[in-house]
Amino acid sequence: MGSEQQPLLAIRHAAVAYDRLPVVEDVDGTVGPGQSVALIGPNGAGKSTLIKAVLGLLPVVRGSIEVLGRSPASARSEVAYVPQADTLDPEFPVSALQVVLMGRYRRIGWVRRAARADRAAARSALEAVGLSERASARFGVLSGGQRQRVLLARAIAQEPRLLLLDEPFNGVDAVSQDLLLAALQRLRAEGAAVVMATHDLGLAHLACDEVCLLNRHQVGFGPIGTTLTPELLRATYGGQALALRGDAVIVAKP
Amino acid sequence: MTELLVDPFRLPYMQRALLEVVLLGVLAGAVGVFVVLRRLAFVADALTHTVFPGIVIAFLLDQSILLGALAFGLLTAVLLAGIGAHRRVGDDAALAILLTSFFSLGVVLVSRARTFASDLTVFLFGRVLTVDRADLVQTLALAVLVLAVLAALRKELVLRAFDPAGAAAMGYRTVVLDLVLNVLIALVVVAAVKAVGTVLVIALIVVPAAAARLLADRVASMTALACLLGVAGGWLGLATSYRVSVDHGVRLASGATIVVVLVALFLAAASAAPLRRLAEGMVRR
Repeated sequence: MGSEQQPLLAIRHAAVAYDRLPVVEDVDGTVGPGQSVALIGPNGAGKSTLIKAVLGLLPVVRGSIEVLGRSPASARSEVAYVPQADTLDPEFPVSALQVVLMGRYRRIGWVRRAARADRAAARSALEAVGLSERASARFGVLSGGQRQRVLLARAIAQEPRLLLLDEPFNGVDAVSQDLLLAALQRLRAEGAAVVMATHDLGLAHLACDEVCLLNRHQVGFGPIGTTLTPELLRATYGGQALALRGDAVIVAKP
Repeated sequence: MTELLVDPFRLPYMQRALLEVVLLGVLAGAVGVFVVLRRLAFVADALTHTVFPGIVIAFLLDQSILLGALAFGLLTAVLLAGIGAHRRVGDDAALAILLTSFFSLGVVLVSRARTFASDLTVFLFGRVLTVDRADLVQTLALAVLVLAVLAALRKELVLRAFDPAGAAAMGYRTVVLDLVLNVLIALVVVAAVKAVGTVLVIALIVVPAAAARLLADRVASMTALACLLGVAGGWLGLATSYRVSVDHGVRLASGATIVVVLVALFLAAASAAPLRRLAEGMVRR
């Protein structure tokens, strides 16, 4: 990353606490415009905790986290978060388009209703994930992959400069996976930075150019080709990593 | 049909009662949508019991029952928002403790009054047929206030109900939104206490919204349906209790009859829902 460019996300020797106990420590790295970083590590490694800290929802107890040079809480309008689709109630009475429109709520402001421009932005975001024709379908009748695409569309409608995703490819079919990857690629081409927590090393290779290996502390941070090595993966996953023929590593799913 | 639905309401006290239950049907239906979507039925039930001592204290001191109930409703709304902090006790246990302790306090206080038994009955089950003009104005004012707040915060409350983590990530203070909703529920309980009493008001809030939830797949249509069912239940319940009392000499408590009708409407919705899904599935195929 060029030194003349301010990083969108700057993490400096940060430790993040949950209930006053540090959950993840010594995280250090920057993410610039157009970059994409995969957070990789076993369950409980602190991936979601780190994402919550970047959203300003958990305290940084040592070091610092800055988003666009500001504190995370004051930069929220520039950040979009994509939750896992299966954490949301499929019976909830909202349409796909209404879910996407939620991404505009902060811009619309209190009391006021969505304007024509907001609806247009929501429709074009839905189109960007290939779901225009399902706009009026209830969120819960869509497939898991389609629901995940709706949530990405909601984030796109926020017009974020930093996008945070929690396991965006869990339970997602191949078609949805390709559409998600393409939409993420477009966002990056427009200058947004992407940070995603994932279990899937293969998808990390497809979707990201950098990787941050976590297991309660940072094991490695750097370009995916030089950082996703058997040694560092073994250090990240401990006993869950199995060596194959010396150079490949399989990570047993927890 | 007019004999059942229109004739009873030629009497002025029946007209006032009808107006009261129509207002309450709309009010409780609209708030009930969020109670059901957030799965707060037990919280709402706790609120209906915790305003009870406020009503009793106001009655004993000869003060406005509205103010007494409001004070305890707000106190509970604040306490409820704080309850989430104590993980070891757990929300459900803390709620049960709050509910029973406040309710017992109310019963202890009311037992000091000389007209104990009849007073207790009114507080617990309401007396919709004695609603006067002042009560109606009060209900109308509360309805306007609560519906205005609901309309103003609609999109944020829906987002909070659907995706709390997403709402927090967008920078919404979910604790504040929760507090507002608790206060709105308390206001509905206050508005409904004279007509249906503290025990039955929970039915007015939860049953129409739960029935609407079975049939609607948008929050807007669910709200319209919940209000409609609330009004229909109130009207039909009042008319039924009047007809049965007058024609057959069997006195039916009007508040409880309203609840029975509401539950019947819910059961009808529950049996209609599978048919609707079946039709939906055939259209899609």
